[in-house]
Amino acid sequence: MTRQAFLARLREGLRGLPPQSVADIVADYEAHFTDGEAAGRSEAEVAAALGDPDRLAREIRAESTMTRWREERSPSSAAAAVFAVLGLGAIDILILLPILMGVAGAIIGLAVAVIVCFFAGAFVFAAGPFTDPPGGPITAVLSGIGIMAGSASGGALLTIVSIGLMNALVWYGRLHYRLLKPALEPQA
Amino acid sequence: MPEAIEIQLKKGALELCVLALLSKHDSYAYEIAAQLADAIGMGEGTIYPLMRRLQADGLVETYLVESSAGPPRKYYRLSEAGKKNFTSQQAAWKSFSGAVESILGGAQ
Repeated sequence: MTRQAFLARLREGLRGLPPQSVADIVADYEAHFTDGEAAGRSEAEVAAALGDPDRLAREIRAESTMTRWREERSPSSAAAAVFAVLGLGAIDILILLPILMGVAGAIIGLAVAVIVCFFAGAFVFAAGPFTDPPGGPITAVLSGIGIMAGSASGGALLTIVSIGLMNALVWYGRLHYRLLKPALEPQA
Repeated sequence: MPEAIEIQLKKGALELCVLALLSKHDSYAYEIAAQLADAIGMGEGTIYPLMRRLQADGLVETYLVESSAGPPRKYYRLSEAGKKNFTSQQAAWKSFSGAVESILGGAQ
C-alpha cells in the first residue's frame, strides 16, 4: 500500500472525530512515513509494519469514544461508546448483540416505569387531599411523598447499574483491540 | 501458554520502556518505535496511541524541532510528573523482577 492510500483510508475511517484530532493523528502517521523513508524503507514496508489502516482507525475511534465516556457520563457518550465497541466487529461482540439489546430494552422500560411512578406520586401528593381519601388528606400527602421518594431511589439505583454495565462493556471492548494496546500480539 | 505470558509481560513493560528511553534523552515517535520494535517486538503503530495517552495523562510534553528535510518534527520529553512516575515505576519493576528472579533461580 502506498503512503497516500494508507493515509486516505485512515482519514476516511476517522471521520466523525473532531477535525483537530483527525489532523493530529494523521500528521503523526504521515511523519512516520517520512521518517521511515529517511531510514531507507519503502512506503509499502512502512504501511505493512503499521497494519491495516481501517482497523487502526476503528480502534482509535473506539478508544476516543470510550475516553469520552470516562470523562463525561451522558447517554450520548454511552451510545457512542456502544456503537464503537460494536464497530470493532469481533464475532463474540456480534453474538452479544441480542443480549445487549435485551438489556438496553429492559433498562429503558425500567426508566420509563420509574418516571411514571414519580409522576403518579406527584399526582397523589397534589390531588389526593382533595378527593377525600381513606385515612385523611395527611395520609394522601405522605403516601405521595413516599411514592416519589421510592421512584427517585429506584432511578438512582438504575443509573448506577447502567453505568456499571457500560463500564463492563467498555472493558470488554478494549480486550478486542488488535492494533492498539495489544499490538504486541501476532496479527491475525 | 508461554506465548500469552510473553504478550502480557511485554504489554506491561511497554509504557515503562518508553518512559525509560525518554528519561535518557528527548526523542520522536519513530525513533522510540524503531528502538522498541527491535528490542521487544512491538507493533509500530502502537506507539502513537500510547504517546497520546501519556500526553493526556500529563507524563510527557511535546515540542517541535525544525528538521533539515520535511516538516518540523514532534519531540517528546518527560514532564516533572513523568519523571516521578518513571522513578516509582522503575523501583516497583526492579523489586518485582528481583523477587521473581530469585524464585526462578531457586527453582532450578
